[in-house]
Amino acid sequence: MPRRVEIAVIGAGVAGLCTALFLARAGREVLVIERGAAWGESSGANAGTLSLQIKRNEVLQVSRRAIELWRDFQEIDGIEVGFEQIGGLRVATSEREVAMLRRSQGEQAALGVETEWLDGNRLRDMAPWLGPDVRAATFCGWDSMSVPLTGGPGLARAVERAGAVLLADSNVVSIRQDGGRFRIGAGGNSIEAERLVIAAGAWTGQVCAMLGVDLPVAADVNMLTITEPAPHLIDRVITHIGGILSLKQYPNGTCLIGGGWQGRGELAAGTRETEHVSLMHNLRVAMQVVPDLAKLRMVRSWAGYEGVAADALPLFGALPGVAGAYVNACARGGYHQGPALGEEMARLMLEGRTGLDMRAFDPRRFA
Amino acid sequence: MTRRIDQGIDRGAAFRFDFDGQPVVAYPGETVAGALLAAGVARFRTTARSAMPRGLYCGMGMCWECLVVIDGRPSNRACMTEARPGMRVETQRGLGGPERS
Amino acid sequence: MKTCDLAIVGAGPAGLAAATEAAELGLDVVVVDENARPGGQYFRHPPAGFRPVGETPWEKDIRRGQSLFAVLGHPRVTYLPDAVVWDMPEPSVLAVAAGPRSGRVQARAVILAPGAQDRPVPFPGWTLPGVISAGGVQNLLKGQRIVPGTRAVVAGNGPLLLLVGANLVRAGVKVAAIIEAAPIWRRLPAELVRLVAAPPILAQALRYRAILAHAGVPILAGWTAVEASGSQAVDQAIIAPIDETGVVDRARRRRIDCDLLVTGFGISPAVELPRLLGARLRYDALRGGWTVERSADFETSVANLFVAGDGAAIGGVELALAEGHLAAQAVARRLGRLHAGEGSTWEARWTRLDRFRRGLESLYRPPRSYRALITPETIVCRCEDVTRAEIERRRGEGAASAVQLKAATRMTMGRCQGRNCLPTLATLLADWAGTEASAIAMPRPRPPIRPIPIGDLAVEDLPPPDLPADPHLPRGRR
Ligand SMILES: Cc1cc2nc3c(=O)[nH]c(=O)nc-3n(C[C@H](O)[C@H](O)[C@H](O)COP(=O)(O)OP(=O)(O)OC[C@H]3O[C@@H](n4cnc5c(N)ncnc54)[C@H](O)[C@@H]3O)c2cc1C
Repeated sequence: MPRRVEIAVIGAGVAGLCTALFLARAGREVLVIERGAAWGESSGANAGTLSLQIKRNEVLQVSRRAIELWRDFQEIDGIEVGFEQIGGLRVATSEREVAMLRRSQGEQAALGVETEWLDGNRLRDMAPWLGPDVRAATFCGWDSMSVPLTGGPGLARAVERAGAVLLADSNVVSIRQDGGRFRIGAGGNSIEAERLVIAAGAWTGQVCAMLGVDLPVAADVNMLTITEPAPHLIDRVITHIGGILSLKQYPNGTCLIGGGWQGRGELAAGTRETEHVSLMHNLRVAMQVVPDLAKLRMVRSWAGYEGVAADALPLFGALPGVAGAYVNACARGGYHQGPALGEEMARLMLEGRTGLDMRAFDPRRFA
Repeated sequence: MTRRIDQGIDRGAAFRFDFDGQPVVAYPGETVAGALLAAGVARFRTTARSAMPRGLYCGMGMCWECLVVIDGRPSNRACMTEARPGMRVETQRGLGGPERS
Repeated sequence: MKTCDLAIVGAGPAGLAAATEAAELGLDVVVVDENARPGGQYFRHPPAGFRPVGETPWEKDIRRGQSLFAVLGHPRVTYLPDAVVWDMPEPSVLAVAAGPRSGRVQARAVILAPGAQDRPVPFPGWTLPGVISAGGVQNLLKGQRIVPGTRAVVAGNGPLLLLVGANLVRAGVKVAAIIEAAPIWRRLPAELVRLVAAPPILAQALRYRAILAHAGVPILAGWTAVEASGSQAVDQAIIAPIDETGVVDRARRRRIDCDLLVTGFGISPAVELPRLLGARLRYDALRGGWTVERSADFETSVANLFVAGDGAAIGGVELALAEGHLAAQAVARRLGRLHAGEGSTWEARWTRLDRFRRGLESLYRPPRSYRALITPETIVCRCEDVTRAEIERRRGEGAASAVQLKAATRMTMGRCQGRNCLPTLATLLADWAGTEASAIAMPRPRPPIRPIPIGDLAVEDLPPPDLPADPHLPRGRR
């Protein structure tokens, strides 16, 4: 006997769980189907950077809303997501980068996101730990950080409390549309759903292909490195206009260093390893920006998949040609945006329209 | 009894370093851990999470339990660090420096 | 990048023996070791400033060590002390962190001889100051001539306990008791036939036994430490009988005053590098847990990657020396510097020592499990102060797998990189699943395999990185 539900969500990362959360809160019957363990992929392996000022202009509004929702998770819903709004510095280390930063600041201001320009003594006053190579930075009070490690279990419990059901260890291998229903084969289970949300992260291309839809999804292999716990050093979220550094220090003293440097691996083979030379470059950039890091020890590094659409914008909306199916995946910096994308997806499915302007993310752009 | 085995060895000239404000005797080539243990000090640090006492455990650089602050820098392995005259060694409390409030 | 014929990781007995053999056979060799001085754990020796006066029990080993160290001055040998191999991006490349000397070494073949590390067995109070591993105490004795206490209890499993006990006695420490978990007295008669395969080692063991007997040190076999008590440091060891299945008879427990509790429940091969490179491992409880699968030439399942000594499977110093020579000969044959059939004088010796090892292993076969020692309040992860109760609470909340428990408790995430808690986590997971620890897949290590200063990554000359024009756009494959 197939299990019948109103809405099936494929994938229990931040995108799937947040979609399920808002749907369940609105009283819908939701089943989240997850291949492995909830939060086991990108959403558990990422850097937890919630930086508004590093986002592409197209996703600024979604990203701002998402920060409000992360704060609500922590402060209102009591979910341990480790949210802290400590503000962020986006740095530039060359003339060229200073010009890029200026331009970006202007564009963001025009879209309603104000940042503060800092250089010279004003910059050193705020961040004496920055190295001499840092020529300028913009400060954004929205920028925050979070702890993906603890956020997952908390969010999964909240989803269940809201009434949704989580089905782990159930790899979706087939989806058929049959008399207005979806028949989903997942890890030996057969599930029937009236509507379907594909939130399968880097695997979204594979899952959409089960419904005959071809979406251009690439799997980046991002690396991160964490240091030993050290006395208080860095008190802002640090990012880089070149997109090559993310850095923060957690309350337990560890510093997390990333920046989109690529490891090695293939989604199809399930491999994701660190790459020696890239890792060294990543840490060199970190030391250039915060020289005191040279004295700290690195303790672990790892790599995870980040699914990205060809134009690096989210895949958000109705799946072209398949009535009742939706996709919510592949936002660059999708951890940050997850709550807002989930909220909007629920709104789209329940009300037929979104609150924010999401047209640029419509998957039909690739049809 | 003394905790330095004197039989069969001439250690050369002793020197001192400072541990939490007290002088500790060491000999050239001794590790900070060795000199502290010889002086009867077993507790080198307290942990960040629950302030529990810790000391030398594996003695070969693998367990990272014997951390001390040396000349203001935290998290030195006492078992892997040679004692030097005049160095300032302190019990490491937690991270060994200011924590974020 | 520095290049050589053979890179050897570890300057202990196995690594030094390999270097000696290889240098004699005309190979260019690089030896890397994280310690400041050569010798590994066994040939640890006092610093240069300590001058021996007269003959002491230590001198023989020191001279033996010294003759091995000679190879490090050989013109074909480059020795990098104080140098940590933190990554092997390829089976032929070592990434070395060594302050201003950091960089990569490329070799035609690699012999790993990284030795072993303590096998952690948590019990209440094992984190107290004054509870020190047997290896740690040996290092203080050999390398510093310092004893870390005045009244000691030596507890655990394996032949090392006798050695440490005897050394402490010779150093003037009052040793209250040796607590051996295996019922060795009962098993001894049956194992003698194999133990006589190595008369010198057996004679040495008898000497230690005599020293202990002379000092009136009782050896309790079939007993274990179940707790260390004290507030700021250990002041008592609590011991109790343990049977071969691991059941502890707490009703018969005894308290012994001490300011030093030496623990040694055996050692495990340091398999991080073979694991990192994907070499095949095999679980062998008697040889330290996860061991490295090797051919008769000591080559792993990864071509041109060899492992010698305790780093592959626990066997002791004599076996490690033999394996070092044999592995280097195999490398020389591979590189065309030695013909088949040549240079095999070490084989017969290896076979004899291996027979002895089997005897010793079965004599000291540990209880099936020490899980009875891990009470709820016992710290399992020393770096993050995580107790068994906390792990079980998180499990109750739904964290079922190793990965989820790590995330929920932070265990394995500290500086020791899980060395002190992963084996226990495997035991607990196996218990819950009703299987053996050998069935629990351990997470693959990722570089760095030791914590290293980030500054060391700034040393090597690298070509500038290929930066993306637009960092938002995907770089991975579809
Ligand atoms: C190292 C790293 C650092 C990053 N840093 C940041 C950062 O600081 N800030 C930020 O905002 N973003 C960051 N990202 C990106 C961010 O992690 C992702 O954008 C985000 O987590 C994606 O969430 P998701 O739910 O779409 O994907 P995932 O978390 O990967 O969830 C998708 C889920 O779908 C499941 N699934 C896939 N196929 C199937 C199937 N057939 N059947 C059932 N289930 C299936 C998967 O198992 C997975 O659990 C980083 C990414 C990486 C790798």
